[in-house]
Amino acid sequence: MATTSQAESTGAPGSGGRGLVSYLASRWVVIFLVLETVFFCLKAPGFADLNSAQILLFYGTQVFLLAVGELFVIVTGGIDLSVGYILGFASIISIKLIVWLMGLGLSPLLAIVAGLLLTLVIGLVPGLINGALVAYLKVPPFIATFSMLGVCHGVSELIINGVYAMGLPQLAANIGSGRLLYIVPGGPTVFFNRPNVARGTKIYDIVPNIVIVAVIVIGIFAFVLARTRFGRHVYAIGGNMDAAVRSGIPVKRRLLQVYALSSFLASLAGIAYAFMYVSGKADAGASILLDSIAAVMIGGASMFGGSGTVIRTMVGALIIAVLEQGLRMSGTPTFNIYILVGAILILAVIMERYMPQHR
Amino acid sequence: MVSDTAASRGPAAEPGSGGSGRSSGGGAAGLLVRNWAGFFLLFMVLLFSFTGRNFLSVVNFQNVLYLQTVPFLLAAAETFVIITGGLDLSIGFVMGLASVSAAALMHVFLGMGLPAPWSIFFGSIAAILVSMIPGLINGIVITRFKVPPFIATMGMWGIANGVALKICGGFPIAGLPDRLSKLGNGYLLYVLPGSFVSFLDKPQWFPDARIRELWRLVPFGVIFVLVALAVLSFVLRRGRFGRHTYAIGGSMDAALRSGIAVDRHLVRIYVLSAFLAGLAGVFNVFQTGVGNYTTFSAMYELFAVAAVVIGGASLFGGKGTLWRSALGVLVLAFLENGLDISGVPPFYRYIAVGVLLVVAVTIDKLFPDLN
Repeated sequence: MATTSQAESTGAPGSGGRGLVSYLASRWVVIFLVLETVFFCLKAPGFADLNSAQILLFYGTQVFLLAVGELFVIVTGGIDLSVGYILGFASIISIKLIVWLMGLGLSPLLAIVAGLLLTLVIGLVPGLINGALVAYLKVPPFIATFSMLGVCHGVSELIINGVYAMGLPQLAANIGSGRLLYIVPGGPTVFFNRPNVARGTKIYDIVPNIVIVAVIVIGIFAFVLARTRFGRHVYAIGGNMDAAVRSGIPVKRRLLQVYALSSFLASLAGIAYAFMYVSGKADAGASILLDSIAAVMIGGASMFGGSGTVIRTMVGALIIAVLEQGLRMSGTPTFNIYILVGAILILAVIMERYMPQHR
Repeated sequence: MVSDTAASRGPAAEPGSGGSGRSSGGGAAGLLVRNWAGFFLLFMVLLFSFTGRNFLSVVNFQNVLYLQTVPFLLAAAETFVIITGGLDLSIGFVMGLASVSAAALMHVFLGMGLPAPWSIFFGSIAAILVSMIPGLINGIVITRFKVPPFIATMGMWGIANGVALKICGGFPIAGLPDRLSKLGNGYLLYVLPGSFVSFLDKPQWFPDARIRELWRLVPFGVIFVLVALAVLSFVLRRGRFGRHTYAIGGSMDAALRSGIAVDRHLVRIYVLSAFLAGLAGVFNVFQTGVGNYTTFSAMYELFAVAAVVIGGASLFGGKGTLWRSALGVLVLAFLENGLDISGVPPFYRYIAVGVLLVVAVTIDKLFPDLN
């Protein structure tokens, strides 16, 4: 009795001191992001700038969206290798559909809206097949989604026959590269349309449209994962599959939905790609598969499932985005980015093992 | 446990899975299912013999084999890793790293005034040594720091790619001695029917313009692959190294308890995998005459995994043989070649690979007691 109370009293201050250290250590990812940002603000001229920050988010959109889809899959203990080529597939499909609809005589706006919705529906198909293979046929996720990668690649190339998909109306390009607000100092504030001003006049362009869409969508899915029954089920499946089955969670249906969700987000990223670059190609997302998985892992999710949050994944994605833009703006060859992302990915997983856990 | 169960843990961990099809052992059906990849290959060869002009010819078959030198070596590398229950995603880019290193080092040695044959020799050896470094790092990260193989080798995927691009500056490294590609593209036998038989090289007097009249038989690349596969297969089937490899994949716990130095063995496996990727990269320099970096869309590692899985290995470890993986490579190779010769757009190949993979895994799931 006495000894235990003594142990408690001596233990308390010590653990209090360790508390701060472990608090900081458990948030090393955030600290890393801050340090990295400060570093590039000092080193890369023009990095610490409103426009630079917006460009960073603008070009990061694809990785952000893919990473959220990948997070859901990884939380269930799976992996989705197909997202990069689903992105390419969607970028092609969306353009082909919009061009086709305009050929039917629809106005550009209507064609864009209809084409977009159709693409999102078609974009569910690869994910549903992935999910069916994984959940019902028990194909390992690695193999199922790699197969889908091949199929999406093949189908995309067949559709475009080896050339870029093109021919989007000007309106789509305006949406893709447009901003929400245009502020002319001492002049008008305009929504969506860049005002016609004399050459050389300073205009503040605030928030790319694409980024707004991405933030809203990511916010919704953050809520879904953290606060809904669906999200709880996703964690439960990844945490302990047996327990999830026994506690009556419809595991198969949830897995199907998770892969469909990942595919949906990849399609959205593909549409964003089409609008940003006004072209679609099969391998549009081939090189960012690593980035999207790395973002999830740097954000502290476990490969074995059951952990990870959208916010931490976004921190992981931002680390990569800041690195990329910072290196580019400080004039370092782009090859270094691959080395650094690979190294950070491995380090992050090692850190996660040795650092105190969240909560 | 280290194994990539992450990727495969999901639904397979569900109770009651894989219990079906226990009785698949004997009979004609069992034989058919057990060797489905072989039968499928046979079926393809028959089909394409009708649909493709000149498909069924020595020249074409030789070409298929010769062009698959690199995939054969990469599949062999992946076989060892997958048998232990791991995964190596870095081999494609390690291969690119070896390729550009070999070319760059050959240039260095040539610049130092070394004669061409020695430059080629030392450059190749040095590049293979360089390519083993990523494997060593992979092995250490996986065993000492318990990073899942998928993540560790994916990180190395990026690192090797970056280093390779740094070395070559984003362009293939050309300007190597001619005899390099002569070696890589040589044949054992040169025969002009009814006239002469010549070994290793065509006779000097025979004009290059008439080279198509010659029968060129047995490319060096094929001999190289056969020897490599035979040696590796021997290592895997006889001897302690192979036994330990299967033991670790079969049950990590049992392997530990029976006193196998699991960590050290796994490091060796990943070094071996990188070594074979390096060998493939150096051979690639001999074949093409330039040092090539690997592009993102090449996906060598994924096709290697596909070949191994079609060959009947399981991603859960403990299963697979080199010759079956080689069969997997052949299935993919003839699929590509046959579709191409039959005039089918090449894009169908990607779709077909995807479908085949799912078939392979489904068969493995339905008949778990094969092999």
